[in-house]
Amino acid sequence: MCFLKLSGIHFSFGEEIIFDDFSFELHKSENLVLKGDSGSGKSTLIKLILGFLQPDRGEISLKGNPMDTKAFRELRKKTAWLPQDLNMGENSVRELITIPFSFKHNAVSKPSESTILETFEELGLQEEVLDKQFTDLSTGQRQRVGITLCALLNRPLMLLDEPTSALDRSSKDKAAELLLGDPDRTVFSVSHDPFWIERCDRIIEL
Amino acid sequence: MDIIDLSWWQLSIGFLILIIPAAILWWFKTGLNKQLAIATIRMTLQLLFVGYYLEYLFEYDSAWVNTAWIMIMVVVADFATIDRSDLNRTWSLILPIFGATFFGIILINLFFLELVIQLRTFLEAQYAIPITGMVLGNCLRSNVIGINDFYYNLKDNKERYQFFLACGATRNEALYPFFRQALQKSANPTLASMATIGLVSLPGMMTGQILSGSSPMTAIQYQIMIMLAIFSGTILSVYLAILFSNRFVFFESDMIDPSIFKES
Repeated sequence: MCFLKLSGIHFSFGEEIIFDDFSFELHKSENLVLKGDSGSGKSTLIKLILGFLQPDRGEISLKGNPMDTKAFRELRKKTAWLPQDLNMGENSVRELITIPFSFKHNAVSKPSESTILETFEELGLQEEVLDKQFTDLSTGQRQRVGITLCALLNRPLMLLDEPTSALDRSSKDKAAELLLGDPDRTVFSVSHDPFWIERCDRIIEL
Repeated sequence: MDIIDLSWWQLSIGFLILIIPAAILWWFKTGLNKQLAIATIRMTLQLLFVGYYLEYLFEYDSAWVNTAWIMIMVVVADFATIDRSDLNRTWSLILPIFGATFFGIILINLFFLELVIQLRTFLEAQYAIPITGMVLGNCLRSNVIGINDFYYNLKDNKERYQFFLACGATRNEALYPFFRQALQKSANPTLASMATIGLVSLPGMMTGQILSGSSPMTAIQYQIMIMLAIFSGTILSVYLAILFSNRFVFFESDMIDPSIFKES
């Protein structure tokens, strides 16, 4: 069943054309990975899906219905997004993880500290990381904190931008287990990592 | 004690002191002497103009004329806020910031002038004009800090805002950390000045009152009141300016209209 469909997308930043008549379908419960060179618009595509950017032409539809502002807002409530380089400014890791659960929509699923620490442990993060400034973490630690948040949000759709680019082998295994392990979840990722790519159901080249 | 009147001759002698800072600025090749000259001329002409106008306002003392004068001050403050915040003069900013500043100043005026001081006539010029001017001047400074910080922080950290939206936040929820930081930054200068007032500096209003013959205690009572008015007015106007403008500067997609920014 087609969950999300992008048809004939044309998108440009000024003179630079990023997508010209680009189409693809994301099926429900599949793990789809997009491969492509740096700067080919992979991150832009995720922002188009989230409604943060609008295509110049083309249509994005969800379960067969063209998406409008309301539909994008609803989609965001069902989505966990892992950006490639999460920038959280001066916030501590604890704040980064708790802020999203202070939002009304997520309040019911607020995790306990022990649940957060269990996920940390699975990804090889120490308890002390929770009280560190996010900016003081290494790229790999930041990525694992982002994965923790995605796992805790436990959404039916995950949009992951290079989810394993800075992880060691054992952390990759755990990340794949946490993010790809649920057979009902739909995962759209962009990645260069052969480890991640071979664990996805379908590959699209950009 | 009556105040010693300053003659125009005495005032013009006062300008001679500028030779010292001008020489220092020239010696260090700061390039600020032209600006110093322009600023001095502007200050003198603007204050002379206001002096003549206030003489007329005090003599006429009509609530309508005073309200019109306050409106003019708010309009000038509105455009100055937008310009000094490095934002473009779009209607989506002009109207909300005008509304926020006007509403804020009216509320503060009604509370302090009519309820606390209990003026003899509504918006009595002798009190309403200088107090509104002082509060508005401080509102302008705080609005510039708060609005500039809010919108440029949002622009520079767009991904963080988008990340919160993608976590299921409403627009207001995603803007909350930016709003909080803008309020903190705009409140800090007034809080710092409240904490050191009387120790580090004697404020202008109090000094003016003492010079014109008021007892120091009366001057202090007015100064405390004006500080309360300034702090309340600045926080209220920054809060309302961001709240009102947020309704107009976002697209339906929750993304900010980039045309409000001067830098692209």
